[in-house]
Amino acid sequence: MGKEIFNSFVTAQFQFDRTAEWLGLDLPTRELLRSPLKEHQFLIPLRMDDGSVRIFRGFRVLHNDARGPGKGGVRFHPDETIDTIRALAMWMTWKCALLDIPLGGSSGGVACDPHYLTLREQEQLCRSWVKRLIHELGPQIDVPAPDIMTGAEHMLWMLDEYESLRGEKVPGFITGKPVGMGGSVGRIEATGFGLVFILREALKELGMPADGATASVQGFGNVAQHAVRLFEQMGGRVVCVSCWDQKDAVSYAYKKEPKIEVKALAEITDRFGGIDKDKAARLGYEVLPGEAWLSQDVDILIPAAVENQITEENVPTIRPRVRVIAEGANGPTTVGADRTIGERGILVIPDILANAGGVTCSYFEQVQSNMNYYWEKDEVLGKLDVKMTTAFNDVLEFAKRKKLAMRNAAFAIAVARVAQACKDRRWV
Amino acid sequence: MGLILPARPSLALFDRRFFTGKEKFTAIGGGDIGGKAQGLALMRDILESRLVERFRPQIEINIPTLTVITTDLFDVFMEQNGLYDLALSSFRDDLIAGAFQKADLPAQLVGDLRALITQVQTPLAVRSSSRLEDAMFEPFASVYATKMIPNNQMSPDSRFKKLVEAVKFIYASTFFKDAKNYIRATKHTTADEKMAVIIQEVVGVRHGHRFYPHISGVARSYNFYPLGHAKPSDGIIDLALGLGKAIVDDGIAWSYSPAYPRANPPYNTLADLLTQTQSEFWAINMGWPAEFNPIKETEYMMKFNLGDAEKDGVLQFLASTYRAQDDKIVYGVAEKGPRVIDFAPILKFDLLPLNAMLQELLKLCEDTLGRTVEIEFALTLDERRGTPARFGFLQVRPMVVSSALVTISEEELTGENVLLASQSALGNGVLDNILDIVYVKPEKFNVHYSEAIASELEKLNHWLVTFDSPYLLIGLGRWGTSDPQAGIPVNFGQICGAKVIIESALPETSSMLSQGSHFFHNITSFRVFYFSVGAEDPYPIDWGWISRQPVIQETDYVRHVRLSSPLKIKVDGTTSRGVIHHD
Repeated sequence: MGKEIFNSFVTAQFQFDRTAEWLGLDLPTRELLRSPLKEHQFLIPLRMDDGSVRIFRGFRVLHNDARGPGKGGVRFHPDETIDTIRALAMWMTWKCALLDIPLGGSSGGVACDPHYLTLREQEQLCRSWVKRLIHELGPQIDVPAPDIMTGAEHMLWMLDEYESLRGEKVPGFITGKPVGMGGSVGRIEATGFGLVFILREALKELGMPADGATASVQGFGNVAQHAVRLFEQMGGRVVCVSCWDQKDAVSYAYKKEPKIEVKALAEITDRFGGIDKDKAARLGYEVLPGEAWLSQDVDILIPAAVENQITEENVPTIRPRVRVIAEGANGPTTVGADRTIGERGILVIPDILANAGGVTCSYFEQVQSNMNYYWEKDEVLGKLDVKMTTAFNDVLEFAKRKKLAMRNAAFAIAVARVAQACKDRRWV
Repeated sequence: MGLILPARPSLALFDRRFFTGKEKFTAIGGGDIGGKAQGLALMRDILESRLVERFRPQIEINIPTLTVITTDLFDVFMEQNGLYDLALSSFRDDLIAGAFQKADLPAQLVGDLRALITQVQTPLAVRSSSRLEDAMFEPFASVYATKMIPNNQMSPDSRFKKLVEAVKFIYASTFFKDAKNYIRATKHTTADEKMAVIIQEVVGVRHGHRFYPHISGVARSYNFYPLGHAKPSDGIIDLALGLGKAIVDDGIAWSYSPAYPRANPPYNTLADLLTQTQSEFWAINMGWPAEFNPIKETEYMMKFNLGDAEKDGVLQFLASTYRAQDDKIVYGVAEKGPRVIDFAPILKFDLLPLNAMLQELLKLCEDTLGRTVEIEFALTLDERRGTPARFGFLQVRPMVVSSALVTISEEELTGENVLLASQSALGNGVLDNILDIVYVKPEKFNVHYSEAIASELEKLNHWLVTFDSPYLLIGLGRWGTSDPQAGIPVNFGQICGAKVIIESALPETSSMLSQGSHFFHNITSFRVFYFSVGAEDPYPIDWGWISRQPVIQETDYVRHVRLSSPLKIKVDGTTSRGVIHHD
């Protein structure tokens, strides 16, 4: 999608530089925060099920841990690069700070395509990834979590490997574990639900009732499915979703009026969020090119797939009716597109706020795991909602007071908090 | 037809500031707010514009701060947890309540509850407000649960947990057996029912580990049992110390006509007065509960005796004292002796214009709802001077009063085919479709077995309701009493298929009906005929004739007979005469 030459880390550094300038940070602080504290890149040789050996590249980047142990996902994606990981780690630092969670930011992954790996091969990748990083990870150091194309079972394999190597039970080592095996109820829904909690507050601010509001969503993975479900429970209608089609190697958008049926659609979706195109057509969905999700005549757009999706090239296709863009994915909007969207008066709920439900619930999971005492779902989601809503109101109030866009306000709050922590520790 | 209310009065959305927000009456969700909340919403502005200023500064009148969880969230709760199969089954209440406790509240609700609980540390009442409650011929009084929670734990996690448990318990009570039986007696089905939940500040004052209002009350604008010079349209008011549970469930209260507030209730002797007035009161227990039990309605409610209230210093405006040496009641609590909760300083010495205010309030509610009404309220007094008082308006509900013209002559009360007659019958109209009679066997009746009798009646009632057979019910002692020694402690759901109820007084007790209770509200609103037959009355029950009728079912204490031709039952509401003829 898009022809802009895109590098997530360049975007992340641009956002940081702009914020640092606005905050008037001193040079050492800028230097410290615009790059990761630590980076690890390593190779993982893996014997495949057919007997051959393939070499995969693994990553772990700790951007900053001034406010607490690192926290960040592990993604399995064929296009993974160190720059994407750096950007994600940096965004995670800001995200935790914005939500006022006592954690730092990190990220990691393996450049691979799980579509073409057996479960045993994926398990071996997980175990090898942990082995390489055994001294760099831990509940007091850096805590991994699931991300794109990794899930609860991957986290459990990683935990098992970590505990085997350490010779002790350490449930707080990792989050996103299966419920009953150290996972938290509500974790699966957290990112999608958190996004809708924030969206609800944004609609209140705009004086738009959620009941009757319409939305179009990019992606139909975990985040998107739960966001759609809760949005519809609140009276909203989602008319279009899009996703990647592995077989055709293109993305498609699936449209239905008056609304998509999330339950039926989920039943024909694979575990990577790919909808079966033929079955969707049989269910009466209009199958459109992937980019069509962006040009729907709706009130709300929710990019909930990957980075770099709303670009200067496709931003003109956004209809005049759109009032809100809620960024479920990390970095879905390029800097150029962001400028245009701002000029059009669309309220953007930036990624570090909109999708922070996941890391917030990860934090809750880690707290529970460290105590080995688990909360009920009402408690998890109640705390999540209050945390998210408080953060939204903080950003909104700051944006209004300082006459900033929501994204700039969110970054300003977050970067200021991390910078202060570095100063308090006398790092700078 | 019933009162036409707007589907959803305009309410502000809950903005996560319970006490400090601009709006004191808010909603969480976009659905219906249920009958109870609708009644309050309807009266909100009218109270403000027509009543509040009139009684300031002596009485501060308001609707205690509340937020309503609307019915759409109940729908989400039921569907996302897949609870309907279980809820509509015949499982025991505790199993249903337990399953509801394990279910998850909707994600869009819990954040608001969490925010509410974070800033509020005073007791909360979590009350039902069901959709069918706005069907005005079906009052649903006391059918669903109310849970009081102290909400004083240090940890917001603990307070949140108790609030969540209470909301789920109210949801579960939609499907309890009594509620299902009750709905079966209406034209609705349980599947039609949707529950909204009111979370409301409790009006009261804390004294150590007790929290309670100084006065709770139920006022009705129509009195089915006017005494002395009082007229039915004068209405009747019941007052009690502590939470209103004493009135609505126990039926123990100081009852008086608002036209004659200084008149005592009709007790035969002062000894009667002492035994029949309140000796205990309900309060919210702010300490450790006797047991942690989220599916028990009274988990945090406790009864205390009058000595506790006296220690709390609250009786001076509420009580008189019995002086044994000259067998007199003296006003106030200056002397030692048994206390009588008669509200004398307020009703007899006008410490507070409560009675005048209640009269105006009843009139205002009648005018607004276009029919006779029942209201519930709670009041706290300034503990040093009595005034100013805070009056919390808790509920308004229409009453049903039949206007069909029935006359019964003196001669009709006697004769060979009279099964029984009464000079104090409740209701108005004619019934000629009753073939079944369920009666407590007089020869087996003993107050020690009254709870077992209630249980047997419930089973027979269920059977008859299932087969859509309305029946005549005859028993000894008070119906609907909470005191097993005074009669049969049924709730209305346990006998809801009865269309005619006969109360044959126990020889050794007063025959006063407990009309202050919700039990009697249901009886009148469901147009159940109610006959009171005293032991010395001139028109006794013809037990001989009944015993000759063919028996359909029989348990230890109860018998069910079926007649070959229907009874003819008439009640004249203007004279309170009633008679039942058989062929």
